[in-house]
Amino acid sequence: MIKESVLTELQKIVGNEQVLTTPEAKKAYSYDGTTNWVHEPDVVVFPKTAEEISEIVKLANREKVPVTPRGGGTNVSGGSVPWLGGIVLCTTKMNNILKIDKENLTATVEPGVVLQDLTLRLASDGLFFPPDPQSFFGATIGGIIAENAGGPACVKYGVTKQYILGLQVVLPTGEIVNLGGRTIKNVVGYDLLHLFISSEGTLGVITKAELKLNPLPQARKTSMAVYNDVAMAGESVFRVLENGVIPAKIELLDNWVINRIEEMMPLGLPKDADAVLLFECDGIPEAVEKETEKIVEITKKYGAIDVRVAKDQDEANKYWMARRAGFAAVFGKAPTVLSEDVTVPRGNIPALIRKVKEISKKYDMENCVLGHAGDGNLHPSVLTDIKNKEHYERAVKAIEEIIESAVELGGVLSGEHGIGLEKQKFFRRTMDPVAVELMKKIKALLDPNNIMNPGKIWD
Amino acid sequence: MKDLKELKKIEKFADQCMKCGFCSFFCPVYQEEKVETAVARGKNYLTKLAIKGEQEFTPEMAEIIGKCLLCKRCVANCPAKAQIDRVVVGARAQMVKEKGLGFVKNFAFRKVMADRKAFGRYLRLAKAFQWLLPKTEGNIRHLPDFLKALGKGRNIPSLAKTFLRDMVKPVYKPQNGETPKMRVGFFMGCATDFVYPELGLKLIDFLTKRGVEVVVPEAQNCCGAAIYFSGDFETGRYLANANIKAFDDVEYVITACGTCSSTLKDYQKYLPDNEEEQKRYEAFEKKVKDSLEFIINILNVKPEELTLKKEFEGKVATWHDPCHLIRYQNIKDQPRAILKSLKGLKYVEMPNADLCCGMGGSFSVYHYDLTKKIADKKMNGIKATGADIVVTACPGCMINLIDNALRNKMPQKVYHLLELVEG
Ligand SMILES: Cc1cc2nc3c(=O)[nH]c(=O)nc-3n(C[C@H](O)[C@H](O)[C@H](O)COP(=O)(O)OP(=O)(O)OC[C@H]3O[C@@H](n4cnc5c(N)ncnc54)[C@H](O)[C@@H]3O)c2cc1C
Ligand code: SF4
Ligand code: SF4
Repeated sequence: MIKESVLTELQKIVGNEQVLTTPEAKKAYSYDGTTNWVHEPDVVVFPKTAEEISEIVKLANREKVPVTPRGGGTNVSGGSVPWLGGIVLCTTKMNNILKIDKENLTATVEPGVVLQDLTLRLASDGLFFPPDPQSFFGATIGGIIAENAGGPACVKYGVTKQYILGLQVVLPTGEIVNLGGRTIKNVVGYDLLHLFISSEGTLGVITKAELKLNPLPQARKTSMAVYNDVAMAGESVFRVLENGVIPAKIELLDNWVINRIEEMMPLGLPKDADAVLLFECDGIPEAVEKETEKIVEITKKYGAIDVRVAKDQDEANKYWMARRAGFAAVFGKAPTVLSEDVTVPRGNIPALIRKVKEISKKYDMENCVLGHAGDGNLHPSVLTDIKNKEHYERAVKAIEEIIESAVELGGVLSGEHGIGLEKQKFFRRTMDPVAVELMKKIKALLDPNNIMNPGKIWD
Repeated sequence: MKDLKELKKIEKFADQCMKCGFCSFFCPVYQEEKVETAVARGKNYLTKLAIKGEQEFTPEMAEIIGKCLLCKRCVANCPAKAQIDRVVVGARAQMVKEKGLGFVKNFAFRKVMADRKAFGRYLRLAKAFQWLLPKTEGNIRHLPDFLKALGKGRNIPSLAKTFLRDMVKPVYKPQNGETPKMRVGFFMGCATDFVYPELGLKLIDFLTKRGVEVVVPEAQNCCGAAIYFSGDFETGRYLANANIKAFDDVEYVITACGTCSSTLKDYQKYLPDNEEEQKRYEAFEKKVKDSLEFIINILNVKPEELTLKKEFEGKVATWHDPCHLIRYQNIKDQPRAILKSLKGLKYVEMPNADLCCGMGGSFSVYHYDLTKKIADKKMNGIKATGADIVVTACPGCMINLIDNALRNKMPQKVYHLLELVEG
């Protein structure tokens, strides 16, 4: 339990209105986007400035109260669940876009800015911020940086860390530090900036970010390639790239996912296909046309039985809506869904898909694969029910084997969702022990009292 | 064991949410408050706990499930198609069952009464309604809350000198004297009855000009929106049954109020307590048509056949989608088709046309400050169009749009679509 005096001090720092302690509020901040991780905080605070956050963190550090930073609460690894109680520090009221610099293609934003709000604002200036986690309606810049998020557009544009020029961070001891800057090149000392990207809120609170922007592409074109064999779809991914086309997005949906989407919202996807790949090219109109032609040619050569080029934006929107519905289609279909976030080097996608199917068969599991195939990041999932002990245990075994085979194929445990609570038990198994020790030393150095999002990543 | 009947009914809807948080972007209330208890995900989560017996209907919980416009923007944009409206309404019904209506109202009214200025106006309004009492006895508690809300420091549209109920005849024959091609019942709705009676007469005129016989059953009651959406299912069923009976012998039930049409249609969704009721309410649903839907889809009036009234010649118009039309009934193309084809009128689509105006029925009685903030966003959309007039098809929205346009010192006038067309 948190001390009364700490609550009073918090109220002094941010004002009574910005401190919530009702049982209802605590329950509403006990979860995130995951299914099974729940723990209530003692208090929820809504700071408005870095200075307030600094005061809150100093207080917490002095009183040894855990602090869990939280943005939109959309992460799917348990990252913003206050696992040891204490303070949830919610940034949703720090949501100002402070500056858009068209000459230098940069934006300065507060951490609580929701990605879609930023996207709409930037579009009116002919700009865009390329990282595109598909949770853009809820995810905040702070959470996106803390998870180093990425989405379909990573094939061509890379992930969040490639678009962060500078950060302001409140350290676990309360100091405010400015890292990086506003330039693209910067080799002044150690690259501390990147230490905070994908730190999952364990090393400090991001209070401001300097983002690198791109001009909005003039044209886009979507195409969908249809396959009889999901592994062949996997092969097409690197065939397209190796033949000189880098589409903005390459996404994969397997037969199971296609059929669930069609049940939810009939969009005219090919229900008999073993898999489809969705491609989007963007850039100047002529290039987009040429690249799309090339995609049609290459995918046909490497096993696509049909390739549909969206004739207009409406048709394109339909395909991308289907892709976005994929997640809901999977999670709505079983009481418990174990969905992974493994990522392998692109050349091994077909091998990974074959493995997933093989393992699921061995354990007799309903399963599916969807994901950002273009960057090797797949979300193989198995459907189970945590209340059915025998089935659930089999499902866990299947998932463990899938993860192990991804690592054997030169891949990693998590491509974009982070470790949080959900993937802890695999963390040590798939990491170099020396690296784990180094991480712990860094954590101890920055956060001597272990107050910043404790219980996450390796505990 | 507590009887969790109303909660049990919504359990399957509450289970649909997978906690993705997308609704935060669309929820007008969350957009103002930025706290998790305001968004669909939070309301749904707490209701799920109530279903499991782990959350009581405390005053805080009452406030949380009360702070929902039932605008269904969350539902329309939810990848899991979670029906938060059903969850919220079901939770309110359970609360009324457990704590009685007094708890809901007392708690809410405490807030109204705490604001002396608002309370003063509220009283004055109540007084203004006193003279109504003899005529509407038994009915006064069904006056929709949005009429009560008029007392809260708003720009009050004056009540009609003569109410529609005192002007209408029981039966209107087709004007051409031919045998009617259809016999429909006209459902007035409170706002049309007390504030916009001309609108009702207009609809009757429009239909009878096109060979339809219109009857206006005297026994019709309030649609019940404000009643059953606040969880009073018992009174809701009483009204449903009264209305179904009143319109027993007509082919269709037509109304010019988007909220009324959706409320009548949705008896089957929220209210049934047994299979017999379910069937009866479903049968009624099939008969109910919003005026725009009826005109375009049943009467097959071609939008190009309609002519613009002289006074609107040369005006620029924009359309506001009432939640109860676009999301409750999927009526969005009909009004646009009409507006685009009316010669002499220029149509401009407003950004965020589907954004709730902030009224939310009784929501605005208790959360008028939030209503104003949400309405300001709507007003910004209207301003961006440069339109002269705002057109919609729900008298509830009209009252709120007028109030907020005046408050923002905007020149735009607000009309019901039917008011724009000749004959
Ligand atoms: C349907 C769905 C689809 C998704 N798709 C994708 C996808 O395509 N790609 C992808 O990468 N992810 C995806 N995600 C995961 C998730 O949306 C991302 O991890 C996102 O970046 C989280 O942002 P948030 O604001 O919700 O952060 P939260 O969930 O609130 O927090 C995430 C982590 O960041 C920390 N944090 C938050 N704000 C700060 C801050 N200001 N300073 C320091 N630490 C902070 C928290 O402590 C926590 O550890 C998806 C999630 C869902 C539900
Ligand atoms: S209601 Fe729908 S959009 Fe909102 S969190 Fe639940 S599933 Fe997501
Ligand atoms: S119905 Fe409207 S107000 Fe209620 S939770 Fe959904 S979006 Fe928010």
